[in-house]
Amino acid sequence: MSGAHPLRDRAAVAGVGWTEYSKWSGVSTLTLALRAIAAALEDAGLTHADIDGVACHRVADSVQAVVVAQSLGITDLRYHLDLFGGGSCSASVVGSAAMAVATGMAECVVCWRAVNARSEFRMGGTGRPAPDTVEFQYQAPYGYATPPQQFAMYTRSFLDTYRVGAEDLGRVAITQRRHAMDNPRALMRAPLAMEDYLASRWIVEPLRLFDCCLETDAAVAIIVTSAERARDLRRPPVLVSGAAFGSGHNLFSNHRGDLATTAAAAMAPRLFASAGVGPADIDVAELYDAFTPLVLQQLEDYGFCGRGESAAFVADGATALGGALPVNTHGGHLSEGYVHGLNHLAEAVSQLRGDAGVRQVAGAEVALSTGQPGYVAGSTSAVVLRSDR
Amino acid sequence: MSLDGRPRPAVERDSAPWWAALARHELVLQRCAACATWRWPPREMCNRCGALSWAWEPASGWGTIASWIVNRHSFSDAFASPYVVVAVRVAEQDDIVMFGSWAGAADGSDLHAGLAVVAGFDDVSVAEGDDPLALLRWAPAPGDAAPPGGS
Repeated sequence: MSGAHPLRDRAAVAGVGWTEYSKWSGVSTLTLALRAIAAALEDAGLTHADIDGVACHRVADSVQAVVVAQSLGITDLRYHLDLFGGGSCSASVVGSAAMAVATGMAECVVCWRAVNARSEFRMGGTGRPAPDTVEFQYQAPYGYATPPQQFAMYTRSFLDTYRVGAEDLGRVAITQRRHAMDNPRALMRAPLAMEDYLASRWIVEPLRLFDCCLETDAAVAIIVTSAERARDLRRPPVLVSGAAFGSGHNLFSNHRGDLATTAAAAMAPRLFASAGVGPADIDVAELYDAFTPLVLQQLEDYGFCGRGESAAFVADGATALGGALPVNTHGGHLSEGYVHGLNHLAEAVSQLRGDAGVRQVAGAEVALSTGQPGYVAGSTSAVVLRSDR
Repeated sequence: MSLDGRPRPAVERDSAPWWAALARHELVLQRCAACATWRWPPREMCNRCGALSWAWEPASGWGTIASWIVNRHSFSDAFASPYVVVAVRVAEQDDIVMFGSWAGAADGSDLHAGLAVVAGFDDVSVAEGDDPLALLRWAPAPGDAAPPGGS
């Protein structure tokens, strides 16, 4: 293909909104969604009447997209996406909204994730309904069902293959906690030391408590419109510079016997080509972090460091604020809260607007925001965002 | 054994013959009639050559440990922690990974990647009229036996 990718810089994020993060929202996921959307509309200087497209992802744990559309009073819905999936789909929702806007299907698409992930549907909890997958039958009878169990199975392979140790995982949690301490929205703001990390209880070996994300009640909304229209709105546009979807793999994917590499490795070149950048151009990376090892694996699989070098990359301070590639500047799912990747996208927007306060990465112009890198789910996604300067 | 509140496998039309074989204490795999590639779990199409013709064939029951987890947190009252779940690469084709319980130590201290293992079967008591059911329990391979040779 010659010339720029047809999606590049055509759509932009015009508004971002958050609800409060808590362990008990006391309200429905519909109410959470509408509150976050209202905040994003206010941020953009738009009203509900401007929205003509809706897009969300969920795992039977949140209100349907069309119910949100009806609640917004949209009578002529031009684009709707109600994607079954967890964090692997977070960036694909925004990438799809950008495609809808770039092709003219819709003018203004609101993306959101709304969950009572602590007070209603606990991903790692008991009483969880069976996921919509035929593969569950081969796992559930053995007591192998929840995300920490499934990720622990891959993690051991990664640790064994690259001789990564507990303290290497701990440094990821500690670095992100340090970032969260400067984030008023974050649920976990107390200092975390290595001895605290190592003393935290096992959830499922080789994952400890502080390797796991925070199940959170919250919603985050992001409004995507054309770059031209965004330039006339209240806030500086953040361009959707590139997007890619990828093919994940799980333990049932015959012919994919390598358990230590994520699907991001195959997707990353396509993503960077779509945006016309490379790993060295990324100023800040918000990497999906349901569990600490995912950060290390994505650092390698997106090409920020070599195979087996991610632990040293983190130990050298590269991923801390002030380092070569600040990662999860909001604290991530580990310490800010778990909004299934939408909060990573929102933080990337804050960074590219120069809005991140004491967490601001100086001069940040290009950001990577990723979805869960493809384990378990069978899919992955990511976007490259760019400030419009 | 009794499942005692544990999830029963949600057997469906593709998988029913595999579960029926397991209940007879037979481990079977699908094999493509066109390119001889093994596959599991059951799927109508060969994901290597695309052919729809296939047959169930017996597997040796041998494998090696790909990974394992030691459950410490109680995710469900039906499973007493600690307990191990293993992921086994089957001997027939090392990109096929199958799960099961572990017949060895409850803390997994006797496990390492590459350990040779053999399949065992736990019969599960079922209600009268229900199909018989067994689950996989992998065990260390006997030291004096040789793994199956072969293709």
